[in-house]
Amino acid sequence: MAEFLLEAKNVSVTFGSGATKVEAVKNVSLTLRAGEPIGIVGESGSGKSTLARVLAGLQVPTEGEIFFNGEPVYKGAKSYTGEARRQVQMVFQDPYGSLNPQLTGLNAVAEAVRIHDKTNKELSETRALELLRRMGIAELDAIKKPRQLSGGQRQRVSVARALSASPTVLLADEPTSAIDQSAQAQLLNLFRGLLDDGLAIVLVSHDLGVIRYLTNRVYVMKDGVFVESGITEEIFNDPREEYTKILLASIPGTLGTAARQKLQQG
Amino acid sequence: MSTPNKPLIQIKDVVIGIPHKRRPTLIIVNNANFDINYGEMVGIVGESGSGKTMICRTMIGTLERRGGKILSGDVVFEGQSLATASESDWKKLRGKSIGYVPQSALAGPNPVLTIEAQLAEALRNTGDTKDIKARSKELLDLVKIRRVDTVMKQYPYQLSGGMRQRVMIACALATSPKLLIADEPTTGLDVTVQSQIMDLLKEIRSSMGTAIVLISHDLALIDEVCDRVVVMHAGATVEVGSVKDLEKPRHPYTIALNSSRIDIAEPGSELVTIKGSAPSVGEWNPGCRFADRCSIVQSDCRIGDHPALIGGSGTHQTACIHTELLERI
Repeated sequence: MAEFLLEAKNVSVTFGSGATKVEAVKNVSLTLRAGEPIGIVGESGSGKSTLARVLAGLQVPTEGEIFFNGEPVYKGAKSYTGEARRQVQMVFQDPYGSLNPQLTGLNAVAEAVRIHDKTNKELSETRALELLRRMGIAELDAIKKPRQLSGGQRQRVSVARALSASPTVLLADEPTSAIDQSAQAQLLNLFRGLLDDGLAIVLVSHDLGVIRYLTNRVYVMKDGVFVESGITEEIFNDPREEYTKILLASIPGTLGTAARQKLQQG
Repeated sequence: MSTPNKPLIQIKDVVIGIPHKRRPTLIIVNNANFDINYGEMVGIVGESGSGKTMICRTMIGTLERRGGKILSGDVVFEGQSLATASESDWKKLRGKSIGYVPQSALAGPNPVLTIEAQLAEALRNTGDTKDIKARSKELLDLVKIRRVDTVMKQYPYQLSGGMRQRVMIACALATSPKLLIADEPTTGLDVTVQSQIMDLLKEIRSSMGTAIVLISHDLALIDEVCDRVVVMHAGATVEVGSVKDLEKPRHPYTIALNSSRIDIAEPGSELVTIKGSAPSVGEWNPGCRFADRCSIVQSDCRIGDHPALIGGSGTHQTACIHTELLERI
């Protein structure tokens, strides 16, 4: 057993070439232990989603490597293979765009269950209902199509779908940005339950409140590099980098007040 | 603030419905009631589908374009009734006395117009067509855009989300409106950009005396920048009060909303969520529409019409008829 469940070593991602060359991620390294919640925080364009896609096996890095359980992921392959493939699952930002509009929540999850478990229709539907119920979606709502569900419900269907593979790592790219505050609280409660069950979560977000609430460690990303990383609480209480200080001071309400005062004092 | 505590716009018992040829009219907002004073910054909070945006539309006269109609009640802007205003009446108000910043900064500006052309269009609206270029530059200065000369020649796609939203605010300010309506102006923008936009709105308010309506579902944000808060649930205003009043909310919905805030929650603690989901538009049971989700619901909550706001305008108003039970929550 490797020390880290998931590890990124010196990962760079470059798009285009010549004048249009964009270095989205520049030489970043990250570690994730089993059952650990970590956060990647940064503004749009900082490269956090690209990094999440690399971790999810959706984007081949230009340089560097991802190790899952100590095994290289992209060595001679374009993505995760075999058993590792089901163990890393992703939830996307947009619950409106990530579900098939033609399928009911139940069918969408059952389809994923069938692919991973290779079971029949009946068994897959039972398991799908179980997953959806765990996500707080009752049978009555499970047979509805995405357009009949609220944003929060759709996002929970997406999570149920990701969980159908019984993953050990859940990558969530801005899962709460598109939903209401009360739906957000509901989703975060579910994530906490998943952590209790031993799932590791990588939360990508620009919402520092969500990061503070859920994660133990955080990586602060800017222009493709990690400017600061460490224990979430320590970073919130005592940020070292100027950029992190500004980021914290931008949080509206009580959470940002202390950071704003500190920033003004210099 | 020239005339504080005097209402600039009044939303009076507004009922909004969407008429349908065959089916009965769908009521989407019922019991909306609040005032906005001169130079005041008011936040409207509520879940999606609570009617926030619909109320906005009554204030800028775009309700009918979306098939909506004010069925009863009135919106009064500086003594003028807007519920019965014709399109030509609106042309004198919209984009003149009343400015609007739409939700989606990324889709807001016209993609095929340069920023200069966009601002010029807004400025021509004032009727004064002199020195448009110089005035455009002033507007961009006002919203703190640097490299003004370069930006003037650029197209929206060349600007970041925050810059685009600044341009939209500049357009809305072209006519020095008395009322500026900002519908979720920072949704989808980064926190740092969000705080810049909020600082900008606050500054506009204090330098130009513009009353600002900020629609958001982020309570922390509203707390920080607004004077007063209007809380909406299922098409009704359920609580109205100053930011200070709302520290001690007097409606179960606001209480629940407050306790689901993650910015004040202990990391890893159980977050309070609101039971069930908001009733679908128009599928409202008799009585209080929050009853099914309320932890202190009583039998008399489920009869009659949705309770109206209790308390006079300008005070801390609530639509809960059982405030004596609130301490049980």
